[in-house]
Amino acid sequence: MTADLGFWVLQTLNALQLSMLLFLLSVGLTVIFGLMHFVNLAHGSLYAFGAYVAATLAGTFGYWGGLLVAPLAVAALGAVLYLTLIRSQRRAGPMAQVLITFGLIFVAVDATRLVWGDLPIGIAVPAILDSQIALLGVEYPAYRLFIIALGLCVLAALTLILTRTQIGAMIRAGVDNDQMAACLGINVERMFFLVFVVGCALAGLAGAVAAPVLSVTPDMGLQILIPTLIVIVIGGLGSLKGAVAGSLIFGFVQTFGAVLLPTLSSVLIYALLAAVLVTRPQGLLPAKG
Amino acid sequence: MFTHTPLRLTTLALLAAGSLSYAYAAGFFGLEILAEIATLAILVIALDLVAGFGGMVSLCHGALLGVGAYVFTVAANDAGLTALPAMVLAVVLSSALAFAIGAVCARSTGIYFIMATLAFGQMAYSYVFQSPLFGGDDGLSGAPRPDLTAIGIDLTDSRAFAVYAILLVAFAYLVAARTLRSGLGRSLVGLHHNEKRLRALGLTVWRAKASAFAISGALAALAGCLAAQHTQYVSPGLLSWTVSGEALVVVILGGLGTLTGPIVGAILFVVLKHEISAITPYWHAIVGIILITVVMSRAKGVFGFIESRWDDRGAKTVAKEAEADA
Repeated sequence: MTADLGFWVLQTLNALQLSMLLFLLSVGLTVIFGLMHFVNLAHGSLYAFGAYVAATLAGTFGYWGGLLVAPLAVAALGAVLYLTLIRSQRRAGPMAQVLITFGLIFVAVDATRLVWGDLPIGIAVPAILDSQIALLGVEYPAYRLFIIALGLCVLAALTLILTRTQIGAMIRAGVDNDQMAACLGINVERMFFLVFVVGCALAGLAGAVAAPVLSVTPDMGLQILIPTLIVIVIGGLGSLKGAVAGSLIFGFVQTFGAVLLPTLSSVLIYALLAAVLVTRPQGLLPAKG
Repeated sequence: MFTHTPLRLTTLALLAAGSLSYAYAAGFFGLEILAEIATLAILVIALDLVAGFGGMVSLCHGALLGVGAYVFTVAANDAGLTALPAMVLAVVLSSALAFAIGAVCARSTGIYFIMATLAFGQMAYSYVFQSPLFGGDDGLSGAPRPDLTAIGIDLTDSRAFAVYAILLVAFAYLVAARTLRSGLGRSLVGLHHNEKRLRALGLTVWRAKASAFAISGALAALAGCLAAQHTQYVSPGLLSWTVSGEALVVVILGGLGTLTGPIVGAILFVVLKHEISAITPYWHAIVGIILITVVMSRAKGVFGFIESRWDDRGAKTVAKEAEADA
């Protein structure tokens, strides 16, 4: 099995697909933390909300309509959350933030059960991507390649924005030292809001993209939360490079662990996380040197 | 620093008297709830010890409880130990595990500490979830209750079991209070306020943190043994991080860093859970809203609120007397 090139290609693609999904989720969470020092445990719930919106709209507007609207809807929800809860708790310390967003998870799970019911909702892969593509000797679903491509596009766009534009420079300055950035005339408050909403939109996008692959259930947000947190802690809270590295490490360790070391696979990633925390408590690629 | 104020002692005495007389009068369902409250109360005492006094907010206490419950069940079912030695073994092993976790996490603070404990907790959860030795996701059944027939007590009777559970809570409280009044407890509170200063004073910081975490882990395992004996069934769900999250919620709702408050919180939480879930299946949402409201209002939980009002009143009386003297 392991001597076959096709096996490695297939598992690599699987790992990349998982990595890209986690990247979409973790990048928002990590930049929000790096900039605002805010821990949002409810980020997974935003992802679940995105999946539900996409699944609901897919019936009337088709898959692409759902994919377009879901991030916007989640961004709107994120804006409401920011103005009502998050802004006032920014300086409240990690415990208050963990508790408030933990409470939000409770509310979100029950709200989705109330609106959409307990049963999983499935949505179909769009017709144009509902095929297999031959790649290096393996047949791979086109939709999963689309997820990889989308993740890479978002990564490229974010890298360009953060490193080449003025707003990107402002965000990097804010992550480095928000008070100094404010003294230099940057409207840090507005930037926080913008980053938070964009992070939420990315979580919604991840949910919409994941909906046809995974089943849409009320606890999907809770299930994805722990992997996302592992990604950003391994990578280093607050850094884009860290989110990329963390997603790739998680995706590959999880995928290859499951096929090569099935008895250890579930413990492997936590052991890795523990090792990273012991040797480099700030993560592998922390935002600040 | 931890002190037994008159208000705390009075509350504890009232709780003890109230729960014992309730155990005497209640029907089967009430006794079940009492045992459930006792389990949660021991867990939150353990968590308040490290989180409230030491500032070590742990998300692995569910896992420590679960490890205690599993070790107890396996030791009693497969290793042929009777219930009491099995409990001792469970408490000692969980305590050793907690010492190791505490030692490894001692360098991290704030959100990193929370994440690190979460990682260790989830590691234990995933291991138990897929391990054939521990029954995987089916869990294990058949945990025995201690055999006290020699002294004329039959713990298979739910009234006797409820009293036994209340006594375990009292024991856990005494252990926690004794720890906090010892040198270790004082160092723990000191570490919470100013770690650098204690380091400069020559304290071995990691050892103090790990020791406190070990005592807390021992108490969590005691709660695990009680849970296993109560339902006589253990499942991986006991180790899940949401159990730790819920315990943290109870500590906050009751009053962080008061040791008495979390017990009040445990009673309120279990009673509310049963009352609200009888009306609506969406009781988690209501708990979530209460939690958000309490944290946003910066209230120190139910007992913390009463305590601060009591102190205000006391301060006013003192001020009035001073005025009268002048």
